[in-house]
Amino acid sequence: MKLIISNVSGMPIYEQIKQQVKSAILSGELQEEEALPSLRTLAKDLKISVLTVTRAYTELEQEGFVKNVQGRGCFVMGRGSELIREQLICKVENSLSEAIDAAQMADLSSQELHHLLDILLEDKKNG
Amino acid sequence: MDNFLEVSNLSKSFSGFWLQNISFSLPKGYIMGLIGPNGSGKTTTIKLILNMLKRDNGEVKVVGFDNITDEKAAKANVGAVFDTNYFCDEWTVTQVEAAVSVFYKNWDKNKFSELLKRFHIAPTKKVKELSKGMQMKLMIACAFSYDAKLLILDEPTSGLDPVSRDELLKILSEYIEDGEHSVLFSTHITGDLERTADYITYINYGKLFFSGSKDEFTDMFRIVKGGRNELTFNLSEKLIGVRNFSTGFEALIRADDLKQFSHLDVEPATIDDIVVFTNQEGEHYE
Amino acid sequence: MNDTLKAAKLDFALIKPYMKNICFTMVIPVVFAAINRSLMTGVSFAMCFIAMTTGYTFSVSEKSGMDRLYGILPISKKHLVFGRYLYTCLMGFLAFLFSMITHPLVLRVLGETIHPVDICFAIVLGILMFTLYTVFQLPGYYKLGAINGRIFMYIPVAGFLAILLLASKLNLTNNPIFSALTGNPMISIIAVLLVCIIAYLLSIIMSIKIVQRKEM
Repeated sequence: MKLIISNVSGMPIYEQIKQQVKSAILSGELQEEEALPSLRTLAKDLKISVLTVTRAYTELEQEGFVKNVQGRGCFVMGRGSELIREQLICKVENSLSEAIDAAQMADLSSQELHHLLDILLEDKKNG
Repeated sequence: MDNFLEVSNLSKSFSGFWLQNISFSLPKGYIMGLIGPNGSGKTTTIKLILNMLKRDNGEVKVVGFDNITDEKAAKANVGAVFDTNYFCDEWTVTQVEAAVSVFYKNWDKNKFSELLKRFHIAPTKKVKELSKGMQMKLMIACAFSYDAKLLILDEPTSGLDPVSRDELLKILSEYIEDGEHSVLFSTHITGDLERTADYITYINYGKLFFSGSKDEFTDMFRIVKGGRNELTFNLSEKLIGVRNFSTGFEALIRADDLKQFSHLDVEPATIDDIVVFTNQEGEHYE
Repeated sequence: MNDTLKAAKLDFALIKPYMKNICFTMVIPVVFAAINRSLMTGVSFAMCFIAMTTGYTFSVSEKSGMDRLYGILPISKKHLVFGRYLYTCLMGFLAFLFSMITHPLVLRVLGETIHPVDICFAIVLGILMFTLYTVFQLPGYYKLGAINGRIFMYIPVAGFLAILLLASKLNLTNNPIFSALTGNPMISIIAVLLVCIIAYLLSIIMSIKIVQRKEM
């Protein structure tokens, strides 16, 4: 998994870690039960504070993405997990509403929009 | 034992300087930055911790041992790096080991020679022939060779080039990686601490300004920027420190007061911003 | 290893780079002994010279800022002081031993006969002088530091001159105390040793008090 820290993004470092771990989980790059890098090793490698990584991991746990096993490390929760499903649905909603906004600007009718979606789904299915 | 360093109500007065009731604690496995402008009491605090100065009041526990009644046990567990080296200039690196190692029961000869290799220090060189960065690493190598649990560094980066500073931070991150070692790091070059420090203790004019996690510290403040006419009387009362210039102002505020400033440019504050603006000099900082 | 020994070892490490010079200074009294054809002169010079080097440990550690090393080592200030006295006495003893071996040899070669009373007198005087110098020097260095206290380096010279003066003023051969001492060599050696031990004890107590009050 790629994890990098930007000094100019303005986003707090713990937030950057969270976002990157989340997208790795959502994209399937991090599989269920897979371990996250050890907290202290990650802190050392990224040259950041241990507390910063702790905060990122704790918040990821609270949001249901990972599970902290005392003494063993942090593990990715299954994608079937209710919370992750919710996150995914939320992501779908966001992307769809973005698509709707664009469709309105382009004067696409609801029917045409549905049709487009069907075509895209068909394409995905056929690989 | 969860705290490797516990300082409570530490006080010391000299003529013209008073360190008052300093209290903070450093949990095991973390790095704490001790910050403050020059003359604020950082070195005094460190010397009191090491019992090199006699405290007037208070208590200090180093790795669980009282620094006075259990001084020997406390010091067997602590390593120190100062801005200049404290070995005899004429000694070779090998002689340094010979002279110092007898004082530590658990001195690890192999570890010392490994560290010398890693730090590229030739054992035959004299201390005075080593560069400043090398001398610093030699002090660290000694501390690591008897597995000091707590490493105290007093302004280690002043006078070091960026490469050596970066190397030091790397060494320190590795040192605490196992969760069994702690670092107290005094510096006025706060950039060193911006990323790696877990905790910050900020001493200003002999008084404790803050001690806690670094994120908490920087989250407590914001930097606001605006034009001169945007700074009303009500707002200016809320500023902790301000820098006025011909076309606008820049100021430090408490995050709690953020709402009143929301119409202005607000940025997160760096440790440096906080130190600069919380000092009286901040007002004349132009 | 005992803490006092560790501290003494550290002191020996400090003067290691100067050891050659110190050894060289020990050769000069041999020459004096030869010129004066007197064991006593040689030994007193040797003890005077070696006592002039007791400040080395202080000046080397001061120059290298080693106060901080002493501050972080797991050893009490008391033991650091003990170690320094032990180091000083050992240096004195080595110089004494060296002189008591080389000087009589040289004198023999030059055809001088050495009486047991000469040896006895040299022993007593050597130990006594060295003690007198160092018991004042060490607390002085502790109090003022090597640089401000460099005047203490000359205590042996002053003491040496004082003794010379005293010896010339007093008519030694008719002095009752002196003849009592020469009459009972064993007793006088024991008495001198006792005086030395007491003097060192007082000096050590004083040094510890100074060191414990001092802030680094």
